[in-house]
Amino acid sequence: MKRTLLFTLLMMFAVTAAAQKRYDEIKYPKLNEFKKADVEEFQLDNGIKFYLVEDKELPLIRVSATIRTGSLQDPAGKEGLASMTGALIREGGSENYPADKLNVLLEDKAAFMSTFIGQGSGSASMNILKEDFDELLPVFVDLVSNPLFPEDKIELSKTQRKSGISRRNDDQGSIANREFSKLIYGENSPLTRQIEYATLDAISREDIVAFHKEAFVGNNMTFGVIGDFDTKEMKRKLEKAFGSLPAGTENNLIYPEVNYSYPSTVNFINKSDVNQSYVLVGHIGGLRENPDYAKLQMMNQILGGGFAGRLFQTVRTDLGLAYAVGGGYGSNINYPGTFSLFVMTKSSTTAQAIDALIAEVEKMQTNPVTKKELDDARDRFLNSLVFRYDSKQKILNERISNEYNGLSKDAFDKYVEDLKKVTVSDIQDVAKDYLNPDKVQILVVGNAEEVGDQLQKYGNVNEIDITIPTPKSDKAEASGDAAKGKEWLGKMADAVIAPGTDLETITTVSTINQATPGGTMSIKNTATISYSDYSIDATLETPQGTMQMVVENGAGKMVMMGQEQALPSAMTKPMVDEVKNSYINVALKADNLSAEYLGMEEMNGKKYVSLKVESTSSVTFLLDPATALPAYSKVTVFDPQVGQEVETVSSYSDWKVTNGVAYSFAQEFMSNGQVTSSSKVESVEIN
Amino acid sequence: MRLYKSIRVLLSTVLLSGMIGYQASAQNLAEFEKKVTEFTLDNGLHFIIIERHEAPVASFYTHVNVGGADEPVGNTGIAHIFEHMAFKGTKYIGTTNWDEEKKVIAEMDETYKAWLQEKFSSNPDENILSEKWAKFEELQEKAKTFVVNNEFSEIIQNNGGTGLNASTGSDLTNYYYSLPSNKAELWFNLEADRFKNPTYREFYVEKEVVREERRMRTESNPIGRLIEEFVAVAYTAHPYGRPVVGWNSDITATTIEDARDFYDKYYVPSNITIAIAGDVDPKRMKKLAEEYFGDFRGKGKVAPPVTTVEPTQRGERRFTIEGNSQPIMLIGYHGVSDSHEDFEALSLLGNIISSGRTSVLYQKLVEQEKLALQVAAFNGFPGTRFGSLFLTLAVPNQGVELDTLEQRIYDEIEIVKNGSITQEELDRARTNIRAGIIRGLANNTGLALNFASTYMTKGDWRDVFLQLERYNDVTLDDLQRVANKYLIKQTRTVGATVKADS
Repeated sequence: MKRTLLFTLLMMFAVTAAAQKRYDEIKYPKLNEFKKADVEEFQLDNGIKFYLVEDKELPLIRVSATIRTGSLQDPAGKEGLASMTGALIREGGSENYPADKLNVLLEDKAAFMSTFIGQGSGSASMNILKEDFDELLPVFVDLVSNPLFPEDKIELSKTQRKSGISRRNDDQGSIANREFSKLIYGENSPLTRQIEYATLDAISREDIVAFHKEAFVGNNMTFGVIGDFDTKEMKRKLEKAFGSLPAGTENNLIYPEVNYSYPSTVNFINKSDVNQSYVLVGHIGGLRENPDYAKLQMMNQILGGGFAGRLFQTVRTDLGLAYAVGGGYGSNINYPGTFSLFVMTKSSTTAQAIDALIAEVEKMQTNPVTKKELDDARDRFLNSLVFRYDSKQKILNERISNEYNGLSKDAFDKYVEDLKKVTVSDIQDVAKDYLNPDKVQILVVGNAEEVGDQLQKYGNVNEIDITIPTPKSDKAEASGDAAKGKEWLGKMADAVIAPGTDLETITTVSTINQATPGGTMSIKNTATISYSDYSIDATLETPQGTMQMVVENGAGKMVMMGQEQALPSAMTKPMVDEVKNSYINVALKADNLSAEYLGMEEMNGKKYVSLKVESTSSVTFLLDPATALPAYSKVTVFDPQVGQEVETVSSYSDWKVTNGVAYSFAQEFMSNGQVTSSSKVESVEIN
Repeated sequence: MRLYKSIRVLLSTVLLSGMIGYQASAQNLAEFEKKVTEFTLDNGLHFIIIERHEAPVASFYTHVNVGGADEPVGNTGIAHIFEHMAFKGTKYIGTTNWDEEKKVIAEMDETYKAWLQEKFSSNPDENILSEKWAKFEELQEKAKTFVVNNEFSEIIQNNGGTGLNASTGSDLTNYYYSLPSNKAELWFNLEADRFKNPTYREFYVEKEVVREERRMRTESNPIGRLIEEFVAVAYTAHPYGRPVVGWNSDITATTIEDARDFYDKYYVPSNITIAIAGDVDPKRMKKLAEEYFGDFRGKGKVAPPVTTVEPTQRGERRFTIEGNSQPIMLIGYHGVSDSHEDFEALSLLGNIISSGRTSVLYQKLVEQEKLALQVAAFNGFPGTRFGSLFLTLAVPNQGVELDTLEQRIYDEIEIVKNGSITQEELDRARTNIRAGIIRGLANNTGLALNFASTYMTKGDWRDVFLQLERYNDVTLDDLQRVANKYLIKQTRTVGATVKADS
């Protein structure tokens, strides 16, 4: 008996020892006292403000300037100027330390210097070992105040940026965020405009020099200096090093007015190589100075605040619809932020995910949040406040950021006090006042074929064209006589299509000889082209089998061996353009086209009338002066593969007239001087 | 809840685990000896405590020596799925009634296994399939009724926790977050509970979340697709060739039972190292460690080793993925693991030829010839525990043919093979990585991560500093020798994405 009791007691002990206590039974000690780092501040006569913090933990010193400038100030047509200037200060080096010398000097010392200009601010910083400070400070000052901006580095920078532009439609997320921003702030707002090939080409060295000169002056500079130094000594060194910089005048950064009218739109961008939809839903947001800022931040916490937010809980954890989901009502300091929710979900659940996002917003409006949700959200914020100041660098950064943005020193403390007062009904009130789930813009970047018609229930789907605008050719634009041009265009039109001829479609049977790496390939082609709606229906007999290609309303498909495949717009657009630029179409639409006579031009020993016609793009026809029929046409198109414009030349001969329409039965196509394909026509049928 | 996948992450890992100047290292080491306390519990679980009293906060880091490379055939992705499950709660967190819930979970798993069995049988019966699936879905709905959504993460965040996350790579899985330092015991309580009592709650819904993660990182991302294909081509036998996120069908095939087996084998004390850095008292940490982790099961157990060794490659392998994005190329050479004597020389080689504006590949291919938007070479991909790749990433400028850029990279590698690297370049590389290390010691998370992973792979956190001796031993001759030995066509894999119509 006793043994049993002892055993039972032992067992009980074992059980209590094994099960650990519950987390809510833990008694926490008080948080250790902690003194926020002191920030020493002073200003030079030339306007430069300094904020200094000693941090002796590691033998490093970091000097970082915030510059009042930004791409907001890019002149229209020269987008990219601010960004290029920012990068080129470092990339090009200074008069005394040109790039190659500077690079070796810094890398030998494991020192970093960088310069950058963003949308609403610029920066110049160095991060070095403290032992190198005296040697590198003058180098830094020289770099910031006397950058060299050598032409070769400007060219390099343009080349790299152009490559960047060519890659900007590769990533689904960047497309979505860029285009959504345009939906909110407008296409041509300084907040959303894009750097393009043409805007880079428009930027000169003089522009860069002038941009730097205006921005990098004392009155635009605020420095933060942190690291292992003695404050008094550091002040002296900084005064000496930066004292001679010009004061200049303070830059006035102007943010554009945002007029938002709460449209309800549905937008789609097709990306055929993805199987997930990147969805953004939202409308305009607000300003930081809004008295409801704290309430809105709490609402954001409950709606989309990380693991604990409702969006994460519903869309990810409950429904398993996404890995990435979130969002909230954005409040910016200088211009209205964006209210946006995002989700990345498989194509087939695109609409389900959008519905789930909108339902969560509506729920915030119709039902009060629970007291626990609000308390938890507040706890998350208040209990993690210590991390806001857990390094001296963060303290310094916040101080400079407040100063730069014109927020008071105690802006954050005031925000914390406001947060403590937010109530359950406040959350519902701001959700009702600031969120408009029935007036949202929806943007989906996804796979059109997989997404199907899911979006139609939200309204008319607007397809956004994200084709990258191509750079202008280096060749000088030829300009000529417009009146004479119109006259020759009329002659050509009448020669190709006899007056009074009714022309809708042309069906041709031809043999195409296409040059391929493996030799010439012969393809029999039966094609019907409509010149009213530019649809194309072609049946090609290739060595691999019969292929049908259909383009209708800009959308194309290809059918081969029973397999149907959609053609990307990158392929269908050039085909349609070719039809639009063809002599048939130009002749047909001659009355509505403008043309210029460029004089006589010699080609293969014969003289022709050179006629430039503005169709979809500029086409130059070389007309036989006797017949007014085109012997050649020349089009310059941008080839994304080569990254530049390529001239293609077509030649036309063996003209035969069918039902009043002259058609060239022998055609050759040349690209960059090489014949790439030719075609022999067997029959032509009109309409 | 992240995967170590992007090249950028890889690059920064390479730099972080880099090198340090010898004198500075001796000095740093002496300083850190004073701040570091380490102890091993009776069951074999090792702790490293790094005192840093800058602010009343601390970072907690659990390093598990298991990654994609350890996964059984047919269950790729299981290390990552388990990582996701570690956020689902314990026997009383995240549930309204564990005793009832666990019965439903068990039945649900049995049903799913029966469905799988039928689905992949030689002659699946549609009726049985739909019946099993209906039952599975019904049980899944029933299991949901017990769930308290994300309670585990919420407790951490409500107590001020920040930076809550985890990641899975080819070599390792890690879990980390930071708390105000007075809440250290909360971390002990929750961390011990989640690894002692995994519940596999919401397992099958979470697999769908993982599938979305796979779509996001791999299937819908041109670089993700390229990397997945690349390692699969470069490795024929070794598990480094498999995706960490798992093949889609393996995600389907993985069951709770598989996850439990995986946990039993790999989540044992000898396979885990924990580091805590911040405003903490080591004595108290030790006391809490014993209290909470003392009864962690698996004393004396050792995780099974990976026994497959990649056979020598017999010839160059090449592939292209036709897609809708601009071209990117990867060139990989079979190299060595981080315990091999040539590892440091290869790491230095990658650093010297491509890191910084003075490096030869940047100077020539980016700056002078304007062929590349970016060229980077680095050693140790996709992991370093086993024979890894010396990888070069090449991003051509607009209008530059991949072939041209590829050939120019080979030309430059040939020059290096002929002994072009100078002592100055070698010294510069060492200096920069030494400074990189110093800069990485300035925050709690970096410290905890560095020290725990170094202990796990090298057996001593001091190797963060001591590895420099190995780097110092590398000579110009070594650089030339390893370039000639490893950067050869026979063991090369070249993969690229190209525009479909090019």
